[in-house]
Amino acid sequence: MMADDEQPILDVRNLQTAFFTDKETIRAVDGVTFDIFPGETVGIVGESGSGKSVTARSIMGLVESPGRILQGSSVRFQHRETVREYAEQFPDLTVDVADLEAEYDPQELLAELELSPRAFGRSNPEEVTVADIAASGHGDEFGMVDADDCVFVTGGDPADPETVTDGFVEATRASGEAQRLLRGGRIAMVFQDPLTSLNPVYTVGNQIKESLRLHRGITGREATQEAAELLEDVGIPDARRRVKEYPHQFSGGMRQRAVIAMALACDPDVLICDEPTTALDVTIQAQILELLAELQDKRDLAIMFITHDMGVIADVSDHVNVMYAGEVVERASVEPLFADPKHPYTQGLLESIPGQHAGERLRTIEGSVPTPNEKATSCRFAPRCPKAFDECEQIHPVRLPVDADTDDHTAACLLYPDDRTKGEALRSHAEAQGGDEQ
Amino acid sequence: MSRWRYFFKRLLLAVPILFSVMTFLFIILRKGPLDPVAARLGPQASGADASRLREQLGLNEPLWDQYIRFMTDLITFSGESWVTRAGQPVAEAIASTVQVTVWLGFWAILLPLFIGIPLGFYAGLRPNTIGDYVASVSGILWLAMPNFWLAVMALAILRRTRGGWFGFDWYTIGPDISSLVGQSPSLAFDSLQGVLVDIKLILPAAIILGSASMAAELRIGRTAILESINAKYVETAKAKGLKSRTIVWKHIFRNALIPLIPIITNEAFILIGGSVIVETVFSINGLGRLYFLAITQADLPLAGSIVFLFTLLIVFLNVLQDFLYTVVDPRVGVNNE
Repeated sequence: MMADDEQPILDVRNLQTAFFTDKETIRAVDGVTFDIFPGETVGIVGESGSGKSVTARSIMGLVESPGRILQGSSVRFQHRETVREYAEQFPDLTVDVADLEAEYDPQELLAELELSPRAFGRSNPEEVTVADIAASGHGDEFGMVDADDCVFVTGGDPADPETVTDGFVEATRASGEAQRLLRGGRIAMVFQDPLTSLNPVYTVGNQIKESLRLHRGITGREATQEAAELLEDVGIPDARRRVKEYPHQFSGGMRQRAVIAMALACDPDVLICDEPTTALDVTIQAQILELLAELQDKRDLAIMFITHDMGVIADVSDHVNVMYAGEVVERASVEPLFADPKHPYTQGLLESIPGQHAGERLRTIEGSVPTPNEKATSCRFAPRCPKAFDECEQIHPVRLPVDADTDDHTAACLLYPDDRTKGEALRSHAEAQGGDEQ
Repeated sequence: MSRWRYFFKRLLLAVPILFSVMTFLFIILRKGPLDPVAARLGPQASGADASRLREQLGLNEPLWDQYIRFMTDLITFSGESWVTRAGQPVAEAIASTVQVTVWLGFWAILLPLFIGIPLGFYAGLRPNTIGDYVASVSGILWLAMPNFWLAVMALAILRRTRGGWFGFDWYTIGPDISSLVGQSPSLAFDSLQGVLVDIKLILPAAIILGSASMAAELRIGRTAILESINAKYVETAKAKGLKSRTIVWKHIFRNALIPLIPIITNEAFILIGGSVIVETVFSINGLGRLYFLAITQADLPLAGSIVFLFTLLIVFLNVLQDFLYTVVDPRVGVNNE
């Protein structure tokens, strides 16, 4: 039996979200893989247009037409209590993975699909499981699961929820009620602009109570009481009076605190913060970051923190994902990333933090983020990269460990792994990519 | 209490508006080209008759005195009609016609309210679908047709159906009104049949009078919904896991109502102007028609009293509009705190 804190609570694999318009297809998120453990903060950093916000919205199920999460994407919410609850509440949507394993052989399926293990966020074929194939939506072709099945039980008997020890809810497959319980109830989100993310015509208390009623069934006087306590928790003084006030009566910082209180009302396990401090001034920003850290300690929250501010990222994150043109180009713990950035893009980002080279002009990365229209066949950063060489135009780099000593620091750049010769490095990228082309 | 203070302030501001409107009316009618004496006596009147009437109506007094008398009569509703209803107290003349106009106005507001806004909301919730196109295009067509033209066309078509036209006869379908042609609604409200007849008599005029507002409500309703639907707080509501029905009814509709409030109250202003035309075309014996007659005959006390009433109504609606704002939108009126 696997304890909950030994596995990530949120496991995003090969997430692809595209927007289909008459003119073009925009692959805003293109094969993003990362995970978040309970109590951990994972930062997502990148320029505007790199796909950070779309990643967050995809996880929340908030991508709207003409946007769509593509087949092969998987966002797993791995939380035992939730899987139990879902198995009990939605027996029709629940799949016993043991049944699937008895029937199908993952290696055969993999061969038939002609996909590389990377399409399932795995580095070699033996690691791919039947659950991976079913959850990512490729299983639908074989009739493995129904289109709306989203609860996968990998340990225990789904017929008897008490015995369930392991499993996950697949967020990309959830719809209707199952999706609504997940979003807001288990995964909450704080948006960028507190000025517009509260409805101006309802009191702050009313908007908090809405979540309380929906996810925790608290109503009436008790809900008002709870809403006031939540406001107090996020550091709003005189909360009892403030509950009855309208958003316009709050200052910017207070409003963001209220938004955070609203997100926490349903007692989520994962909090997605989409640039929560960008619209605030620096002192308020520091207060909000402090508040988030405090709340994380108290509630063991897993936080996904999106920002374009490298300074903020260094401050809050445990792990950092650097995104560029819809892909994660580098992932590492925060110290190695700042001390020894590997990907030329990350190096460029760190170089362009103001104030490092006194008296010089601020260094920047020339050009702007391209809009990916099709699957990558080359390095998307190559046109702006100071270290680019010929092969960068021919091989699409995959994210590999930067050297043999580490598993935790990966970069999608043909220069790595740097303990091998250039030829070997190129080959490992080309091979890993191999089956990926469709 | 700031809401009430704001409200009271608006009410006080209405006093100078009323005052200046009445003064303008006096100057225009008294200094304008229309002569009530000629209108009343006709072209063959003798000079002696004319000067006697002139004296009787007080037109020979200093303008300043006339102005004061005019104003006090207005405020107390105690003047007498000069020409149109010669000798009749204006209060009586107005009371005898106001019912029909209120009846007309009631339906002319109700119909667009319950057709225009739902259609607009429907279109806004399903942007760029067939339903949206049909609603929007018909809204524009509706708006493009001026009500005086529509009124004449409607009258011509309905008259043609008399005795059956493609199997349809407006006069006998539903409650029979063939014996009541050219009459105004009785408004006795004594039987259901009577009410239905009254509704039928007023319906064509009400639809045409409300047509412009209906189209305006449709268009603004659609835009308001579209604007509200894309607002960040709707995304927040979705992220909370609310059902789309709750999001639409609670979060979108109330915000979409804010830009609609002035449209709905403005409708009343259009109605007042429109009722003058529509009542004249449909020969409905209402306030609008009375006003039309009074103003063309330079019946200063009567026209003045009707305009005074209209102005009171508009001021009242403006205050009502502000009041509705403070009810729907909590941000209004607190700046003065």
